Amino acid sequence: MNPVILSKDHLVPLLRKISRSRRLIAPLRNEHGDTIFSEITDLDGAVPDLDNQAQNSLKPFFFPQTEKLSSYIIDRDPVNGALRYSFHAHLPENRPTLYFGVRSCDMFGLMYTDMIFLGGAERDIYYEQRRKNAVFITIGCNHPWKNCFCNATRTGPFLEMGFDLQLTDIGNRFFVEADRAGGMKILRNYPQFFRPVTEEDRRAQFQAALEARGLFRRLVHVDLAVKLLREQEPESLFAELSGRCRDCGGCAFLCPTCTCFNITDRQLDEDGGERIRSWDACTFSGFSLMAGNHNPVDCSTGRIRRRFLHKLKHDTAKHGRPSCVGCGRCVDICFGGVDIVRFINSISALEEENGREENHER
Amino acid sequence: MRDNLPPRIRTTNRNPYLPRQAVIREIIHENELVNTYILSFEDELYDHGFTYKPGQFMMVSVPHGGEAPISFSSSPDKRDGFALTIRRSGSLTNAVHALGTGDIIGLRGPYGNGFPMERLRGKNLLFVAGGIGMAPLRGVIEYCLQHREAYGSLTILYGSKSPAEFSFTRDFDRWEQAGCCLRLTVDAGDGKWRGRVGLVTALLPENEATAGDAALVCGPGIMIRFVIEGLESRGYTPENIITTLERHMKCGIGVCGHCHFQGKLICTDGPVFSRDQLSDLTNL
Amino acid sequence: MTNSINELDHAQVILVAGSNTTEAHPQVARRIFHAVDNGAALIVIDPRRTRLADKARIHLQLRPGTDIPLINGMMRCIIDENLIDDLFLSMRTENYFALRDMLLKVDLEETAALTGVPRKLIARAARTYARAQRSTICYCLGVTQHVCGTANVETYANLAMLTGHVEQEFTGVDPLRGQNNVQGACDMGALPAVFPGYQSVADPRIKKKFEQAWGVELPATPGLTLLDMTHNRGAASGSALQKALPRLRAMFVMGENPMLSDPDLHQVEKTLKGLDFLVVSDLFLTETARLADVVLPAASFAEKSGTVTNSERRVQLMHRAIAPIGDSRPDHRIIMSLARRMDFAMDYESPAEIMEEICLLTPIYGGMYHDRLASSHGLQWPCTDRAHAGTPYLHKYSFTRGRGRFVPASHVEPAEPVDADYPLMLITGRRYHHYHTGTMSRLCPTLDREEPRPRLDMHPDDAAALQLRQMDRVRVSSRRGSCEFNLHITPRTPPGTLYCDFHFHEAPTNKLTLATADPTARCPEFKLCAVQVRKGGAG
Repeated sequence: MNPVILSKDHLVPLLRKISRSRRLIAPLRNEHGDTIFSEITDLDGAVPDLDNQAQNSLKPFFFPQTEKLSSYIIDRDPVNGALRYSFHAHLPENRPTLYFGVRSCDMFGLMYTDMIFLGGAERDIYYEQRRKNAVFITIGCNHPWKNCFCNATRTGPFLEMGFDLQLTDIGNRFFVEADRAGGMKILRNYPQFFRPVTEEDRRAQFQAALEARGLFRRLVHVDLAVKLLREQEPESLFAELSGRCRDCGGCAFLCPTCTCFNITDRQLDEDGGERIRSWDACTFSGFSLMAGNHNPVDCSTGRIRRRFLHKLKHDTAKHGRPSCVGCGRCVDICFGGVDIVRFINSISALEEENGREENHER
Repeated sequence: MRDNLPPRIRTTNRNPYLPRQAVIREIIHENELVNTYILSFEDELYDHGFTYKPGQFMMVSVPHGGEAPISFSSSPDKRDGFALTIRRSGSLTNAVHALGTGDIIGLRGPYGNGFPMERLRGKNLLFVAGGIGMAPLRGVIEYCLQHREAYGSLTILYGSKSPAEFSFTRDFDRWEQAGCCLRLTVDAGDGKWRGRVGLVTALLPENEATAGDAALVCGPGIMIRFVIEGLESRGYTPENIITTLERHMKCGIGVCGHCHFQGKLICTDGPVFSRDQLSDLTNL
Repeated sequence: MTNSINELDHAQVILVAGSNTTEAHPQVARRIFHAVDNGAALIVIDPRRTRLADKARIHLQLRPGTDIPLINGMMRCIIDENLIDDLFLSMRTENYFALRDMLLKVDLEETAALTGVPRKLIARAARTYARAQRSTICYCLGVTQHVCGTANVETYANLAMLTGHVEQEFTGVDPLRGQNNVQGACDMGALPAVFPGYQSVADPRIKKKFEQAWGVELPATPGLTLLDMTHNRGAASGSALQKALPRLRAMFVMGENPMLSDPDLHQVEKTLKGLDFLVVSDLFLTETARLADVVLPAASFAEKSGTVTNSERRVQLMHRAIAPIGDSRPDHRIIMSLARRMDFAMDYESPAEIMEEICLLTPIYGGMYHDRLASSHGLQWPCTDRAHAGTPYLHKYSFTRGRGRFVPASHVEPAEPVDADYPLMLITGRRYHHYHTGTMSRLCPTLDREEPRPRLDMHPDDAAALQLRQMDRVRVSSRRGSCEFNLHITPRTPPGTLYCDFHFHEAPTNKLTLATADPTARCPEFKLCAVQVRKGGAG
């Protein structure tokens, strides 16, 4: 389908129409100055914030920090006293939703989590309930933020596919591309909002995309790190960084592609309880702890080892690309300075140093 | 992610996290720490159609106790119920041991890849078990005995910490009578023990292995490592050295990440692995 | 704190004493890491080799309880090498000569022997701290929870004044407070000798001001300290001081669990059980609440609005996120309901109105109105009126008392030194994943998984001598009681010393600790007591 133009004036009116039949989730700046993907119920009171990076990704909407999977009941058979024990699923309700103002990195993150939760041996029915009937209007990043490196992970700043609609800000209007059915449907249902693109529009979009690539403030050698990790695992670097890791789990919680979770039973009373799923992090010492106190992972050196190997090495081997989407959220949150950017740059520096030493020896 | 397209849609409404009710039909007290539970599902129709492969496992739930993975210790040919052998080690396994026949537990599964019984046809099989590691191997042994002509010679090497800690002692005579070569060893005797004392690695055959030989190993991680090294030095090829690994698991279906190991997920890529699939043998 | 947390980023030298910052104050540790990454020198004073000590340029691994001789040693080096700040001394301090005379008698060889820190290292630390322009001291409970806690702090203050590292940006003497609002509680006068804002109860003008505001007569003498209250019924062999205390008949305990967190639990239990009436308000039925006649369910932080004041004197607004669950009530409503029933009309419509009264009566909080706090990241006191922007660092022009006074101190032996019967020194403290008596943190499955059982840290040499192995159950006993832990063998704890936490009610650590307290601050010597260790019962 050919791209079209949406005037900025018409954005809110369009969203208003769509939000009659769909929940609207968009980046919203609250009174404390934090921008967070939130539900917008009143477009007059709250306008999507397209200037700041949302602190959360889309992950919590499909895979929340905690959720009740089921409840269980225990009782005794009245005749023979045998233990009776049954579970009752607690499925989340599905709400048709429009996710607006999603950046390429987060969209890529979503494609990854779709693969994990829906593309595996079994479908995760809880994720699916929250995930279906969703439409995504993404927006390209003309001005990458300070920690962004989606260019290095090849996950932005603009998408080529995977969105329903993608907007590019070209001044007083948006350049609108459609890819998937949900986007086509919006263009079909609300044709009055859109006009065809002109040559000038195309040039403006081309220019914006070109300039965006030059505005990244961080040079992060993701491909070099991936290549180096294939050859060798830098044990001393892992040990050094593990010593800095403060064991807070912030990186895993914020990361759009981290999907590890814990399942625990929460006893409510003698004869019943709930089975709860909650976010977990492979950087926690107890993550691999087995009964009998056996822990196959030594966290003094291995704490961050599996995190980075997973994102950069194992996922590349399994899926063809690293699962880091370059959103940069872990950089600000990390207490100890052990974020993925630091790791990638450290391993590249190590390689450079080794290379220099070798040259020197010769 | 390879081609950036969303995953193909599959149509099923199954909730993979919801355990089914299974009744404990019989409890066999193997030793002080180990019981074998013979189970069948409460839903008779489901139970009738239920099958599994040797080497697979179930996620076992007990009230307020969460879940843990337990391997089958029976062969799928067994018609009246299936067996899960459980060693008391943590709060969940202790909670199972407090249950009696007629009591219900929650089960999800079967999960995991299972042993490659097809590929092993025609081979001489060497089983090397340490401690509770005998449980998943027992399922394979029973399967082989049920399909005797399909497999070559069956040799079982079983090591235990002490004579009192062997499991499945009731099977030993039957196995020997069926033609298996059974060798037992203990780390430390008890005064009455007249058998071998020493590590199970000392029981490994002297002869070089041929292409028609395969070995199946299960036990504590460090034991697996030494046994595999011993087998390799005797000429067993990497594809013919097979082991099953254990890890803390929460989902069993490849999502929660806890069983991640050397870039693989033990619950879906394993728990059965051949030597050539393992990059190294540390931290098994 | 005299200065602010963000100033740590720009310090050239950070001296951290008695603080396991990476575990207890991660956000402060973050600044320290950042400073070190940018070239700052980190000096850590701690008997244990903590994670923070790993990152230090100099780790002064002193024998527990020897801060005073160590710092005196450092000051002696500073004087010897003429690194004192003469100008600061002459303009801003007094009593220097008393300090100098004491220091000139210090024998550095003796100091090294007493503290266990090599003389060269003491000198190097002294030089590093003194030479830099921007040097900061951060300290925590490892310094204060001693019988000489007050003298410890005064000694660190001596060090800072000697070198002029106070009253400027990026310097200072910074205690790291524990709870998010312990500073606030102290600010509001939850101390026996002051009204809100550290205004003395003994000052008749202050007393009159509050009497007018509240329409009642107020006592002119200080009240009871925490230990006076919870150790009110000392054993027959109790001290004369204890015997002279007014006998308590009733207590109202709010959000505190002295049955686990106060020293010498035997005494605490005796006192609480001996009361005529005990009321406890808390979120959960704690060990203390279980003994109460009446339990009032209190609302958590998420269920009420108000302010909290942190280490750097910053008052921040907290916003209620959900309505109080069940019958629980925010503390101010509990207090107001009780007051009304006692015929004292206390009727504030909101926490904002309560703050208005605080601003009226408390000079250092004079400008802390909620609307001002709402539009910023909080304000640091002193903030004397609506126009005042708050105070990032204190004492810019002069100290509170005018000139800073040097208070020379000498080494004080621990109240209970080790001996043949109790040969090991027990240090008590905290662990990363749990908070205090675990009433909240142990209910979180992830935190519980990370730290599921009470641990005792012991050096491999000590473990070998006692023939103990990793994860063994051990029984630790002191003259006051005993409890069991799971052994964790680690070289981070020096030989002869043990470390344990107090997060697990199954291992009530305070059965072991001493109630002997610092005479001025009345803070118990939680950090040191003599114990013996044996292999424990079955797990």
